[in-house]
Amino acid sequence: MIEPEKRCQEELTALKKEFEEFVYIVSHDIKTPMRAIVNIATWIEDDLGPDVNKDILDNFNLLKNRVGRLENMMNALLELSRVNRTKMELFEVSIPKLVNDCIEMLGDTINVEFHLTYNLLDKKCITLGKKLEKVIYSLLHNAIQFHDKVQKNVFVEVIENETDYEFVISDDGPGIPEEVKDKIFSIFYTANSKDVVDSTGAGLAICDKIIKMVGGKIQYAPGLNCGSIFKFNWPKTITVNN
Amino acid sequence: MIQKLVNILLVEDDEVDVMNVKRAFSKNNIKNDLFVAGNGVEALEMLRGGIVPLPRIIILDINMPKMNGIEFLKEMREDENLKNISVFVMTTSNEDSDKINAYNLNVAGYILKPLSFEKFIASVATLKDFWSLCEM
Repeated sequence: MIEPEKRCQEELTALKKEFEEFVYIVSHDIKTPMRAIVNIATWIEDDLGPDVNKDILDNFNLLKNRVGRLENMMNALLELSRVNRTKMELFEVSIPKLVNDCIEMLGDTINVEFHLTYNLLDKKCITLGKKLEKVIYSLLHNAIQFHDKVQKNVFVEVIENETDYEFVISDDGPGIPEEVKDKIFSIFYTANSKDVVDSTGAGLAICDKIIKMVGGKIQYAPGLNCGSIFKFNWPKTITVNN
Repeated sequence: MIQKLVNILLVEDDEVDVMNVKRAFSKNNIKNDLFVAGNGVEALEMLRGGIVPLPRIIILDINMPKMNGIEFLKEMREDENLKNISVFVMTTSNEDSDKINAYNLNVAGYILKPLSFEKFIASVATLKDFWSLCEM
C-alpha cells in the first residue's frame, strides 16, 4: 500500500474506534443521570404524600414524560448509529409472512383494515430479514399512529421485478403537508408537535438509512385524495461487506 | 423452621442507584441486610474479610471505576470460597458483549435498570422471590 493510502486507512480505523466509544458512552454514561432525574422526581412525589396540589402533580408528570422522551431519543440515536452493524444476518424470508409478522407486532389493529397485494414470482428470498422487517414495521406503525380517522385503511403492495422488490405502503390518513415533505427523513423531525402525537421522530430516518445501505431508495408521495404513499425498492441481491 | 435471611451485597458506584435499591427494598418490605461496595475491589475485600455474613447474594453493576463488574466476576469465580455465590447483574448496559460476558461467568440473572422507579420496584420484587427460595 502506498504511504498516503495507508495513513488514510489508519485514520479511518482510529475514527471508527472513537465513534464506537462515543456511542457506548452515550448509551451508558448519559443514561445514568437521566435515570436519576426520573427516580428522584418519583421519590419527591412519593414523600409529598397523597395531599399534593394538582399543579405539582401535573408538573411531575411533565418532567417524567420529557425525560422519557430524552431516553427514546438516545435509544433512537443509538439505533441509527448501529444500522449497519447489528442484525446483519442474511436469511430466507417469505415476504407475505414477514408483512403478516409486522402486522402482528403492531398490537391492537381492531379498527384497521389491511389490503395486501403481492405480485411475486417466488415468495421467498434470501435477504437482511431483520432490516426489511424494521422498515415494513415502521411504515405500518406510522400509517396507523398518525391516522386521523377511527376506521383506517392501510395498503401494502409488493411487486417483484428483475432486480428489486418494489414496496408501496400507503394509507387513507391525513397525509403529510407539502412544505415539510423533504424534512420527514431527518432524525427527530415530526410533522406535528410531539405533544399531539408522542413520537420520537426517528422511524423514517432509520428506514432511510437501512434502505440506502442495501442500495435502495425510499420516496414519499401524497395520496390522490388524502393519505400518504411510501415507495421503496429493496434489491434482490444484497452484499454484506464486513 | 428457622429462616435465615440472605445478606445482600450491592456493588454499585452511583449514589442515586444505591438509594434507589434501598427505596425499592423498603417498598417491597424487604428486611434483608444490605451491604454496599462502591467497586469490585471494595466488594472483594468485604467478601474475603467476612464483613458480609453467609448466606449471601450479590447485586452487581457493570460499569464502575477501579474494577468493573465483569472483572470482579472473573476474580470471584476463581476464588474457591466465593465462586458459588449467586450474582445478579443490574445495569444500564444493553450491550450484547456485556450480557454474553456476564452469562459466561455464570450469573443468575441480568436486569436492565429501567427508567421508571415503579418498574424497578417490580424487578426487585422478582429478585426477592428468587432469594426467598435460597432462604428455605
